[in-house]
Amino acid sequence: MTDQQPVNIIMIEDDEGHARLIEKNIRRAGIANDLTHFLDGTTALDYLFEHDHGPRKNGPALVLLDLNLPDMSGIDILTRIKGDEHLRRTPVVILTTTDDKVEIDRCYDLGANVYITKPVNYESFADAIRQLGLFLSVIQVPDIDPG
Amino acid sequence: MLKLDDRRFNLLAVGAVIFGFVLLLSAFGAGILTLIGAQRSNERVDHTYRVINELAEVDVWVERAETASRGYLLAPDPERAETFRTNVAKIGPSVDRLTVLTGDNQVQRRNVAILRTRLAEEVASLEAIMQEATTGKLDEARALFVNEVKQRRVNGIRATTAEMRAEEERLFALRIEAERSAAATSQSVLAITGLLLIALAIGAIWLVRRYTVDLASARNRLHLLNTDLEGAVTERTSDLRRANDELQRFTYIVSHDLRSPLVNVMGFTAELEAATGRLAAMIDRLEAEAPALVKQDERTAAQEDLPEAISFIRSSTQKMDRLINAILKLSREGRRNLMPERLPMDRLVRSIRDTLEHPLQETGATITIDGTLPDLVSDRVAIEQLFSNLIENAVKYQRPDKPGRIVVRGADKGGRAIYQIQDNGRGIDPRDHQRIFDLFRRSGHQDQPGEGIGLAHVRALAYRLGGTIDVASALGKGTTFTLDLPVTYSDEGSAL
Repeated sequence: MTDQQPVNIIMIEDDEGHARLIEKNIRRAGIANDLTHFLDGTTALDYLFEHDHGPRKNGPALVLLDLNLPDMSGIDILTRIKGDEHLRRTPVVILTTTDDKVEIDRCYDLGANVYITKPVNYESFADAIRQLGLFLSVIQVPDIDPG
Repeated sequence: MLKLDDRRFNLLAVGAVIFGFVLLLSAFGAGILTLIGAQRSNERVDHTYRVINELAEVDVWVERAETASRGYLLAPDPERAETFRTNVAKIGPSVDRLTVLTGDNQVQRRNVAILRTRLAEEVASLEAIMQEATTGKLDEARALFVNEVKQRRVNGIRATTAEMRAEEERLFALRIEAERSAAATSQSVLAITGLLLIALAIGAIWLVRRYTVDLASARNRLHLLNTDLEGAVTERTSDLRRANDELQRFTYIVSHDLRSPLVNVMGFTAELEAATGRLAAMIDRLEAEAPALVKQDERTAAQEDLPEAISFIRSSTQKMDRLINAILKLSREGRRNLMPERLPMDRLVRSIRDTLEHPLQETGATITIDGTLPDLVSDRVAIEQLFSNLIENAVKYQRPDKPGRIVVRGADKGGRAIYQIQDNGRGIDPRDHQRIFDLFRRSGHQDQPGEGIGLAHVRALAYRLGGTIDVASALGKGTTFTLDLPVTYSDEGSAL
């Protein structure tokens, strides 16, 4: 258990309010993993692919991805992640306001693992995040074993 | 340059035809006149020669009679007496003929009378001589003859006939001159007519040619306009399409981006609420344990003001969320690709009725299909939404005192399907007939949930399918929605 590598949560979300709410609910769900937040796509991609502590060079991660970013579409980031040999197994959770069916299908086609629509109704929002916490605790398991 | 419009051209054409006929008629008349003139001058010539001939004959008869009597006096031969009588006998009728021939002329009539007298005297004298001679008194006869010759009566006769001849020739010359000038007149009439006809023909050709040229240029202009019009329509259509696409995108982006801050407002309101709950609990605790520490307005703020404010924020944001969702739905509907397929409308409406089974049983309302509905080739989702919106409205807005009777009927009017959804519900104030199709606008007593989206959606769908929607209603009298749709949906025919 000593060489267990905890999953690093990478949140790419341009709205700080949303980021705060997501983080709050993740913490409330009892998830204590490190959470790194990026406000735009460029720095997020840089971290994902280049940074020494980034998931490509260092350990497992989970990506929470908003589709509407100021500098690029989240779809681009999803495509990059799922097209990369090292990163393509990284779970990507799309967390966005878009509930367009075409958009959702496209994300799943590109390999998104979960698609969550940010509901305006806060209770369902919190609920969704809590379930995400559950999901996180589940995906932690395989990471424990190979160590 | 005179302007050659249709009316003027017709006037000119009719005028030219009439003028042409007049010219032809006058040419014909002039021809006939010339002919008549020629015939008359022939008659004149003939007449003159007959007169002259007759005069010559009179001279000859007189001459012969005198010669015969003279011969008889020299040698009394009965044959000569016979010759005398024959020639004398011819004089009378000849003079009669002259009288008839020259009866139309005063001078000649007088001349004939003189001639007649002179001839009678001559004949009487000659006959007296012959009387003497035949009865054997030759000497007396000869004496008479000498006397006769002395009187030179024959010369007088000759002079008269010569005068008559001259007169006749003068008359002849006059008449011929008259005829000639008449002929010249009619010839010049003919010539002028001919010239006018040629001018008319040239004018008519010019007129027709100009008219044809005008027509051709008008046709070319029309063709150009038509082509231009098609181009303009295509251009406008693509402009409209672009504007519509732009609007759809705008609506989508705006409504979508509005949701983002709303998520925050709702989220932090919930956080605020949770925090308020904890604060209120703390106030309660404080009040129980150390009432002196809690002021009245602090308690009111924590227990009443904050919860009230939060609940208003919450309900407003919820409403805002519903509106944004409605706009999103409309814009998404507008962007959706329509896929026309054959739709059995009877079955479609029946299945809508089945989904409304529960509210129908609750209110005792009925939905009936009157006759057979014409089938459509159109987009299934759009048509289903159209009809279910209208039928649901009819079920929703019934009169409380009367069970709803909802009738759906339809007819095919040559490529257009006209459907009517009629109810006996509460009706719509005529002032609101246009308003109800606007987004977020509702009419009448607001006792039913809804955002005022349904009919806006219905109208947008109807337009998109190339149709129209209309309402006929009065308060308390029920409502009839009339839906006019193309039987077969085609992309070009659809309104933008």
